[in-house]
Parts: sequence; C-alpha cells; structure tokens
Amino acid sequence: MKETYRNGRTAFLFILPALLLILFIVFLPIVLNLYNSFFRWNSFEAGKTFVGFDYYVRLFKDPVFFTALKNNSLYAIISLICQVGGGIIIAAILEDKLIRRFQPFFRTVFFIPSVISIAVVGLMWQLIYNPEIGLVNGVLNVIGQSEWAHSWLGDSKTAIYAVVAVSQWQYTGYMTMLFLIAMQKIPMEYYEAAMIDGASKINSFFHITLPQIKEMILVGSVITVIGAFKVFDEVYVMTFGGPGRSTEVLGTMLYRSAFRNDEMGYASTIGTIIFIITLTLSLIQMKLGKSGQEVE
Amino acid sequence: MRTKILIVCMLMLALVITGCSSSTSSNEDESDKIVLKFLHKWPQPQYAPYFEEVVKEFESQNPDIKIKMEAIADEPIKDKLRVILGGSEVPDIMFSWSGEFARKFVRADAALDLTPYLEEDAAWKDSFIPASLQPFSSDGKNYGIPLRFNGKFFVYNKEIFDKHGLQAPKTWDEFLDVLDTLKEEGETPLMLGNESPWAAIHYLTGLNQKMVDQEVRMNDYNPRSGEFTDSGYVKAMEMLAELNEKGYFMDNVNSSSHDMVKQMFFAGKGAMFYVELEEFQDVENALKGNWGFFPMPSIADGNGSQKYITGAPDGFIVSSKTKHPKEAIEFLKFLTSKENSLKLVKDIGWPSPIEGATNPDTALKQVAEGVDYMKQAEGMAEWLDTDVHAKVADVYLSNIQLLLDGSKSPEEIIKEVQAVAKQVQSEVE
Repeated sequence: MKETYRNGRTAFLFILPALLLILFIVFLPIVLNLYNSFFRWNSFEAGKTFVGFDYYVRLFKDPVFFTALKNNSLYAIISLICQVGGGIIIAAILEDKLIRRFQPFFRTVFFIPSVISIAVVGLMWQLIYNPEIGLVNGVLNVIGQSEWAHSWLGDSKTAIYAVVAVSQWQYTGYMTMLFLIAMQKIPMEYYEAAMIDGASKINSFFHITLPQIKEMILVGSVITVIGAFKVFDEVYVMTFGGPGRSTEVLGTMLYRSAFRNDEMGYASTIGTIIFIITLTLSLIQMKLGKSGQEVE
Repeated sequence: MRTKILIVCMLMLALVITGCSSSTSSNEDESDKIVLKFLHKWPQPQYAPYFEEVVKEFESQNPDIKIKMEAIADEPIKDKLRVILGGSEVPDIMFSWSGEFARKFVRADAALDLTPYLEEDAAWKDSFIPASLQPFSSDGKNYGIPLRFNGKFFVYNKEIFDKHGLQAPKTWDEFLDVLDTLKEEGETPLMLGNESPWAAIHYLTGLNQKMVDQEVRMNDYNPRSGEFTDSGYVKAMEMLAELNEKGYFMDNVNSSSHDMVKQMFFAGKGAMFYVELEEFQDVENALKGNWGFFPMPSIADGNGSQKYITGAPDGFIVSSKTKHPKEAIEFLKFLTSKENSLKLVKDIGWPSPIEGATNPDTALKQVAEGVDYMKQAEGMAEWLDTDVHAKVADVYLSNIQLLLDGSKSPEEIIKEVQAVAKQVQSEVE
C-alpha cells in the first residue's frame, strides 16, 4: 500500500487526465496564439504568410493601441476606486448596527444589476444616455442644469467615461456582496472591545474592519483590474469603439482586427499582449497574496 | 496489478470522453435527401416569412432536396460569414454584398464561379437588369446572383417642402439653397443617424463618385492599386463636413441610430432623409403619399459622371466547397424566377433586379420609379464600406464620425486612408 503512494508513475497517472485537459484547453491555445501572431492569415483563406515580428512592430506604432491601453487603464483605475473602494464603504455602512435590519433589501437591490445580461444593460444605458429622450439629460433639464446636457456616447471626449460608468453601476453591488461576506466573518468581540475602549466607528473601520478583510480586498482588486483589461462586451454593445476610435479597448481592437479587417495575425498579436498584461497582473497578485498570509 | 487496473480505468474514461464528442453527428443524413444549407440576413419578422414560403414551395417542387435555412442579422453577418467560411460547415448558398465584400471571398477561392451556369441558361442571365449582375463580377466572371437592387435616395416631407414653396433640387447648388431656406425657416433640413457610421458613409459614397474621375476611383478602390491621392476625395469630405458645419444636419448625429431617426422623420421632425429604396415602403406607410424623392444632386465641378446612382445589388454567392452546385443553382434560379421576384416586390416591397418585376402594378409607384432611375443610370456607385478593402473601409468608417464632430479634418483622414491603402497594396498578392 505504502509503496503505491511512493510510486511516482502511479501518481503521474492520476494527474494525467487533468494535465491533458489543461494542456489542450489552456496551454496549447496560448502557444498556438503566439505562433499565429507571426503570420499574415485570415479565417477563410487557406494560406499563411510568415511576417515575423512585423505585427509587433506595427502594434507599438499604432496610435489606436495606445488609446486602447489608456482606456483599459482608465477602466482599471476607476473600477478600483468605485468598485473596490465604494464597495467597501457601502458594505461597512450596511454592516452597521443601525442599518443591518434593512441589509437584505439593500444587498439584493445592489446585487441585481450584476445578474442582468450585458446586452440588455448596454441597450438600456444607450437609451439612458440618449441625448433626445434619455434619462440623464432629462434629469439635468429638470434640475435646471441644461448646459450640462450632452450627447454622452456621441462625443469622443465623454464616451469612454460613459461606458466605464455603466460597469461601475453594474458591478459595485457585486463587490459589496463579497466584502459583506468577508465582514460578517469578523468576530463581534473586536468591535465590542473597541467600543468599550472608546473607539469611534470610523476608527474601528480603519483598525478592525480593513485589516480583517485585507485578503478579500486583494482578491477584489485583482478581479477588477484583470477584468478591466479583458473588458469587451460593454464597449462592443454600447459604442463598438466609437465615435472614431475613442472608446477602443484591447478587446474590441482585437475583435475588429480579426473579424472586420481580416487580420487574424494582428489579432493574435493583440491577444498575446493582453495575455502578457493579465499574466503579469496575476503574478503580482499571487506575490501580494502570499505576503498577506505571512502577516497573519 | 493496480497500475493495470488504473490504466484500464483511464482508457475507459478516455472512451467515455471521445464517445461524448462524436455522438452528435450521426442523425442528419438518415434520409438520402440532398441537404442544401442556405444562409441569408433577414431574420426580421416582416421579411422572414417570405423566405420560408419560397423555401417550402421549392421543397415541394423538388422532393429530393432539403433546404436548411438560417438567418443572421445585418451587422453580425459581416463577422459571422468570415468565421463560417473558415469552418467545416460552410453553407452552400450564402448572402453577400457585391463589390469588394464578395471579391475578397473570390480571391480566397471561397466562392464558386457562376459564369458557366449563367452562360448555359441565357434566358436566366437575360432576365437580370445588366447593371445588377455587374457589381458581383470579378475579372469578367460572375460570382454572385443578386436578390435585391438597392439604391439610395433623398426622401423629403412634401408638407414641409410645400409650406416653404420648395422643390426637389437637381444640382448641388440648388440642394444647398433648399437646405439654407429650410434652416432659416427653423426646420431641421437633414436627418442623419450616424451611430453606426455607414449612414454617413453612404453620403460619401455618392460624393466620392461624383467628385472623382471614374477610372481613377476604380483604380483606388482596387486593393491592388489603391492610392487615394486625387483631390476629389478631400473635396467630397469637405462637402459633407460643410453640411454639418452650416447646421443642416440634425443635432447629435453620432449618438442617434438610423432607426430612431427614421421614426423622428416619420413624425415630421425633419425635412429630408437619405434612405435606401428598400425603405420606401416604410416611408409610404408612415407618410401616406405625402412625400417625394430625388437622387443625389449633380455637382457642377465634379470629375465623376453625374449620371450615376448610389446603390448596389445584394444577393448570394455559392460556396466553392459545395457538393451540390447544380442543386444550389437550381435553388437560386427558383429564388430569382419572375414569379418569386414579383412575390418579393409585392410581399415585402423590395426592388427586384429581375427585368420588369418591379413595375407600378406590383410595387409602390416610387419604388418602380427608383428602379427606373437605376436602369437609366450610367452606372452604380457601390457602397463605399463594401466596395473598398475592409481595412480601408474601417478607416473611413471610424473617421467619418470624427469628421462630423469636427475633431478631424478631411486632410488628416485622407492621409490615414492613403497609409492604409499602401499597407493593403503590399499585402494583397
């Protein structure tokens, strides 16, 4: 019996199915994608032409690539502030003794947007942003701020913020939920002890709540940041990169290259770059996550 | 011993996994019917029944052929066609726009040469209005069969025109005068929904054609030789930008969709709207005879022919991988028969490319007149976004919104077009 446990070959056989699945479903496509980025090819033509690093050179000269990077970073920063920062604050308020009675109601309301299909959300917000009949301009007119009324998605200066705002509306509730779960695990005794010592609510938030949910903050931050670099559907549904290229993100740029411009090789190049960015971010997360454990 | 048992278990698992993947493909060809896959782009409830009826009729006349029909809407089909053509389940008959959109499939050997079939059946070939077959040809060979013959015209609200004593303009200067009068009288002269930028590209389609010499333009639109150095391209964009700068277009063009603007036009909120012939029926339903139309006015100092009409046929190509070319052609012949073309015109009000099918008895008076315009025209200016290489089209499409919100000048845009045209030249063998 014990020999079997020590038998490396048997152990290998046990992990073989999982290993094969991972190899074929995860690693092979990544390698193939890298390989494909060195060729000029499209989906309906048989031949491939080797172009070497041409596409990489072109990518780093392409102004749209930098617009996309900028937009993805904007997405990441705003999402961090609103979804992680805002999520913690909302969760802390909902956990407060005074409001806890109503918590299930608010929790559900805040969570609902994140279960709606993105296509529905996109179309709905297109109507909300509509300059003629939309809710945003309607409200601005009613409160007498009509000079603020604006063609939100139609102006290349505001369009990206309008799209980012929709994501905040959709996912802040989801993050709040995650933080609530983490906060409910904190023993009440800490807060009681702090109260007896005369700590204010703000103080106990900074000195008890935040350190106790540190792990969840890390996980939440990484989810939002990586999500921000993979974002595609919100932009695709609401603006498809327009007006002009002002709301282009890496995802839509990849899609446009692959299925509109018939440049699968260029799309593979963009895919590789997205992979490198998200991989780096995940590695950073893993490192930070580990150091977090050590502190505990 | 144990390792052996393990190996057996693993093999069984492998069998189960492979078993799962292959069990789905066996129930299709149980009958010995020939299956033709047919892909079109009209899933809308007002159009789909026409295709269902025609397919049913064809199947009852040809009991040994089964048509598997699928429909994907206008915008997604642009992407899906490319993916589908690369896969193993290629439809036998597929929708395609004419011009470069079809020609790229021809270059990739994905489309079947239909010339011999057309030559074989002269009566079929002659039943088409010649101008409708031509845009589907490449190097003198036919690769596509048109289903519709679509033109672009300005429709105007007669009530508004009469109120200000205006008439349909014939030249660009007259057109500007009309716009000016309307503007001064406080009307919205031109409706435009440019959220999907093809709407403004259709303006530029006509302007490019009218401003640039035909031969030069065809040379530029060909991906192998495109340069776009003619000054007419810049002038065309300047003219479009001028319409916007003078405030002739409605507000918020870039964030309004074509369909929404159409409803606003129907509600009488604008004087003129640039639409396709296929939309005439909707206009008639909403404005009930209280409207007129005119083609893009002629431009005095333009180098292109002023007797062209903007528009193009769209229709079907046959896959080069099809196992049943004869049956596919049989179906296309049925689809474009006089009888079914009359039905097309009557049921859904689309202009048919079949000689005599779109007549005042079957079609709306204005649709028949529109087709007459196209028959008499010297040629067709095909949609700019499907007539040039996809990458050139993409540059035009994304920049036209910026031209209209004033953040890019025509010179900047043409420079980008020239750069991408050069890149395309080096890539297309």
